[in-house]
Amino acid sequence: MKNMKYSDKIHLVGRIGSLMSIGIMLGIPAIVCSTYDLWPSFGEVMSIGGGVLAMFIPTAVSEVFSYTPILGSACYLAFITGNVMNLKLPCAISAMEIADVTQGTEAGDAISTVAIAASSMLTMVIIAIGVVLLVPLQPILGLPAVKTATAYMLPALFGGMFLGMLTNKNAGEYVIHGKLLATVAPIAVLLIVNFFITPIAGKEGMAMLAEIPFTVFCAWVLYKKGIIKVELAKKPDAEPVEERKEEA
Amino acid sequence: MTLSSILNGKLMYTSVIVGLLLIFLLCALMLKMAWARCIELGVPREKIMDAVKSSVIFSIVPSVSIVIGLFSLAAVLGVPWPWFRLSVVGAVSYELMVADMVATGAGFESIAALSASNDPSQLGAIMFVMSIGIMAGIVTVTFFGKKIQTSMTGFRERNGAWGALATNCFTLAMMVVFLPVQVLKGPVFTATLLTSALVTALHGVIIKKTGWKWLSNFVLADSLILGMVASVFFANLFA
Repeated sequence: MKNMKYSDKIHLVGRIGSLMSIGIMLGIPAIVCSTYDLWPSFGEVMSIGGGVLAMFIPTAVSEVFSYTPILGSACYLAFITGNVMNLKLPCAISAMEIADVTQGTEAGDAISTVAIAASSMLTMVIIAIGVVLLVPLQPILGLPAVKTATAYMLPALFGGMFLGMLTNKNAGEYVIHGKLLATVAPIAVLLIVNFFITPIAGKEGMAMLAEIPFTVFCAWVLYKKGIIKVELAKKPDAEPVEERKEEA
Repeated sequence: MTLSSILNGKLMYTSVIVGLLLIFLLCALMLKMAWARCIELGVPREKIMDAVKSSVIFSIVPSVSIVIGLFSLAAVLGVPWPWFRLSVVGAVSYELMVADMVATGAGFESIAALSASNDPSQLGAIMFVMSIGIMAGIVTVTFFGKKIQTSMTGFRERNGAWGALATNCFTLAMMVVFLPVQVLKGPVFTATLLTSALVTALHGVIIKKTGWKWLSNFVLADSLILGMVASVFFANLFA
């Protein structure tokens, strides 16, 4: 293991961790069922579990393919500990911004793992504290105002997070100008689908799976036409990279 | 044995605590490995620490909201099992829905009715279905996580400027989907989103004017908390 590359090592640990988590998730019910003789029949579990799986497989698979490119090797911890969209992704994106590293690079990947691991550990500690303080905390956290505020957590999160993404032109060694133009057609398509075909709410993971290639395609067209410009950062008079390559 | 005595029994607590400790150790191990890699790659220690601080500060509020979910789930499924489920992969709405499906499938009116009956016969089915139904994400990431991540890094390295733009498109696509969905949910959602954006913008101005770089660790947490506080006002305003 010592001679392995970091990326091989972290993926190996992540995979073992994922298998271990699956083992724990199934192991606890197995221990309880064996001890109290409560084993359900295979048919009973599959008749309901199969339906649940059918409902959740498309969402879960689409989320893995949509979010893993952003999460990097932190994907294992993110999917083991859950709350990917409302906790782990914002943590990873914000941490990469704060540490001045870029998504899709080795440093971005490592920072994302640091952020998600720290966040997961804190969440586990807070839930454990919640368990210990279950009785005294219940009246406070059960207040109507707290429940209302909790219901609006996602817009409160996205407002701040997306503004940061909108205004940030940095992409590691490059600076991107006009990248938001690549979102115009995808947003239009999303609105059309939402109003005329099917509501998107609740199907965000699948919508992302379709919007990622479409956004990349729009960005490619606009980049080739010179509307979106990508320049090398830290150059006093940065010239478009495409032109630089051609000159070389 | 009654349902309640099994759900809140020593065995359940012990199994859950051992399971959670193992997952906590996995987080600690991956944190250590990634931290060392950051140092190797020349990321300054202060920046890594800032990223950790920001993540930890930001995670407090969403974690407290998970604790709120724990209360509703504990009312029907005892304390330890919801504690485990909400610490690992689960979400309150999913857990309640699945538990309810098993209960109604067994002839009870709801999970609340099953809980009130104190009949443990369906507990095994509930626990297994809850676990199996939500595993698809972990199973998929186990098989495809490495391929997706290494392909992404390789693509970026091979394609220079275009690679940088293309990888940026993943976060853009996230915005394309989630921003309109939140706005379309109604005026309270939109006003909350705008308040949060305004708080972020104000932080940006303050950091620029004062040079308080430390404040950037709090931007996400502050915009989340103030956005949520404002949502209570907007919910009353638009009610």
